[in-house]
Amino acid sequence: MNVMSKIRVGATHLAALKAALPHAVLDEAWQTDTQLTITVKLNQLPEAVAYLYYQREGWLSVVVGNDERKLNGSFGLYYVLSMEGEEKGYVVVHAAVPEGKEEFPSVTPKVPACVWGEREVRDMFGLKPIGLPDERRLVLPDDWPADLHPLRKDAMDYRLRPDPVGDDETYTFVNDSKQETTVIPLGPLHITSDEPGHFRLFVDGEDIIDADYRMFYVHRGMEKIAETRMGYDEVTFLADRVCGICGYAHSVAYTNSVENALGIVVPQRAQAIRTILLETERLHSHLLNLGLACHFVGFDTGFMQFFRVREKSMTLAEMLTGSRKTYAINLIGGVRRDILGEQRTRTLQLIGELRVEVGRLVEMLLSTANVDGRVKGVGILDPQIARDYSPVGPLVRGSGHKRDTRVLHPFAGYGLVDLGINVGEGCDVLSRTLVRVAEFFDSLSIIEQALENTPAGPILTEDFTYQPYKFALGFTEAPRGEDIHWSMTGDNQKLWRWRCRASTYANWPVLRYMLRGNTVSDAPLIVASIDPCYSCTDRVTVVDVKKATQKTVPYKEMERYCRDRTDSPLK
Amino acid sequence: MPSFAQLLVAVVQVLVLVAAAPLVSGFMRVLRAKMHTRHGPGPLQDYRDLFKLMKRQDLRPPASGFVFKIMPIVMPAALMVVAMGTPILTRATPIPAIGDLITTIYLFALARFFFALSGIDSGSSFAGVGASRELTLGVLVEPVMLLSLFVAALLAGSTNLGEIGAAVADGRMHSAAATLLAGCAFAFACYVELGKLPYDMAEAEQELQEGPLTEYSGPSLALIKWSMSLKQLLVVAWFIGVFLPFGNAADTSLPALALAFVVFVVKVVAIFFAVGIVENSVARARFRLTPRHSWLGVGVASLAFVFYLAGL
Repeated sequence: MNVMSKIRVGATHLAALKAALPHAVLDEAWQTDTQLTITVKLNQLPEAVAYLYYQREGWLSVVVGNDERKLNGSFGLYYVLSMEGEEKGYVVVHAAVPEGKEEFPSVTPKVPACVWGEREVRDMFGLKPIGLPDERRLVLPDDWPADLHPLRKDAMDYRLRPDPVGDDETYTFVNDSKQETTVIPLGPLHITSDEPGHFRLFVDGEDIIDADYRMFYVHRGMEKIAETRMGYDEVTFLADRVCGICGYAHSVAYTNSVENALGIVVPQRAQAIRTILLETERLHSHLLNLGLACHFVGFDTGFMQFFRVREKSMTLAEMLTGSRKTYAINLIGGVRRDILGEQRTRTLQLIGELRVEVGRLVEMLLSTANVDGRVKGVGILDPQIARDYSPVGPLVRGSGHKRDTRVLHPFAGYGLVDLGINVGEGCDVLSRTLVRVAEFFDSLSIIEQALENTPAGPILTEDFTYQPYKFALGFTEAPRGEDIHWSMTGDNQKLWRWRCRASTYANWPVLRYMLRGNTVSDAPLIVASIDPCYSCTDRVTVVDVKKATQKTVPYKEMERYCRDRTDSPLK
Repeated sequence: MPSFAQLLVAVVQVLVLVAAAPLVSGFMRVLRAKMHTRHGPGPLQDYRDLFKLMKRQDLRPPASGFVFKIMPIVMPAALMVVAMGTPILTRATPIPAIGDLITTIYLFALARFFFALSGIDSGSSFAGVGASRELTLGVLVEPVMLLSLFVAALLAGSTNLGEIGAAVADGRMHSAAATLLAGCAFAFACYVELGKLPYDMAEAEQELQEGPLTEYSGPSLALIKWSMSLKQLLVVAWFIGVFLPFGNAADTSLPALALAFVVFVVKVVAIFFAVGIVENSVARARFRLTPRHSWLGVGVASLAFVFYLAGL
């Protein structure tokens, strides 16, 4: 499926862009038949991205920065757009930022979805987005030296820990409310997920007027390590470790990206096995989230029951991969383990049991007293906000947008199975939960279909050689939404650049809008309804997390600070 | 003036309740674990927890004041006084001066007041939100409690809890329907007062990190946890004493008291079993929607009053 054929998906988008912005396009190249990279003039970058985004039904997947100074004397900026209109495919808008004048016109004022990507590019590469409204750091901590941009090739060794430049937490939380509010700090450890994320709720009584938050407390420097220390196949296993729940989706996305870049044809049987394992991962991930949804509404009995049943999906994963998590199965070119006849029988049996038991539990959950009242109309994600910020997964599907990578851009073995997109119209927590329930049952059916007609043949091809400086996208639909990887091969058996964007990264920016207008007690539930994955989001650079100094602030002092916004008690 | 025997009964019942309170909460934990299909700890776990907490350091936030400091003493003290006046083993209240319904309600309110105040005094914003919820809940549930008990008092012709209980036990209430309705309303109010799901608003762990308890540690936390389980037991004993006093001892002779004790234990276990089933099969109510629930209680209690007036 990765062979270049005569079909060039994206040609109409290119033609339309050329018509709309006559002199903007400098160059175009197809990496696969569905991936087109268009190089545009730097000063027309915002117009080009905005045109494709709003006029051609593009959704922003990721913004990639790349230090290509050794190759062509400039930094590369890649705005990856998933085209979901008539002609479906990926269009990447590329612009070169010359060395010496490291700035570019920000796209964010035209396309809000770019905000995190541009903040990250500024942190990591020191490229200044001119006109970007949000001047704060995204990834780097407050005590990081101002002129050290970790992903520049000449910046630092991956083992270096620069000395902290200060002791203060200088990050400002933005409060857009017009009235007097009280601050409720949640974090830096999230209270119920017990994961690191620092939230500030600006409340009036119990109502959340505005909210802001900060992530990236657990940077693991994966991209830097992949680029400087690991070989291609080792990164496959590193990609597994991006997430403790949906790591396999990352591993598939990474291998796909390299396979696409090099034009490797992966055997059909390996593709089908990848599909089965991806869906197995979805089974246990969605059961986890359904269980947590029970926990957050105070229905712990449901939580324990969902976890009891979830064990069956873990058993399934263990049987198919040898570990309770679907780890260490991929290689570039295929998979490492076949599914044998006996395992197939056992899988079908477990699938049958899961279908019955989860069906019963879901029915129980929905008929439990008060559950409806807790989730209906809570955490509304307005479809227009969703359109502007390009969130992914059950979150965006719960707001009525038909976005599912498995259907829009079939990868792995998804071309072989029959699959629809589940959408909800409620835009609330209930709607997202119901989308997950429907997807759970779809996954069962996908596994069955893939096991019914698994193509015969080898599970791995090694018939390829690595070529330098080839790049392409790899993508999967993880349980939380689209995972997208942009990989560029290097000349030393290492990646030149690996950009890995986890689905939750795309979902954080809209959370603020979902929290507004709800009550404090709904906040954990709303945060959980995007099924957040903190460590996935925070995968980027080598950072020693600063130990925040403990200080208790008197309630009155906190109130005063909210009113005056001066002399922060936290300083 | 209570006789020596009555005084003895009062003291003994307080001690028994205080000693048994962690056992009751341990029993609830066992029940919850069963409904979760978990093994869970045994029924004595809460004693071990309290013992462990007693040995820990007692830390107070620098921003907290004296209310925060004295609450762990005030709350159990108020509850123990209530325990002296509640007719638990005997039909009459051991100490009539305390066994008045208004006194009891206000002693409960005192405990709640300090509990909420300590949350505000702790300086934590979660505790503050929890405290305001606790007070709101009080405002919602106390009218139901007062109204239903007043109806019972009017029917029995006395505001003394023992007198009301005796009237119920002897079938001397003027109106069976009104008594039944008042009992239902009071049962609902007691359930809310237990602080169990779906009404554990103030301490909602997932929402507010245990609200007013957030900042407590060590022996103070142990005392509060102990008082909270004592309060649960006491609320149930209160309900039994007033509306289900069947089998209570008519005098203070030892065999009668022993029998009453056995009957009381059976009743408490049965009620807590029912509470456990409800608690583990519902989600937490949205705090904003609680008034709708409490209006139902007010409605039933008012209906009981109307029945009393109509003499049905």
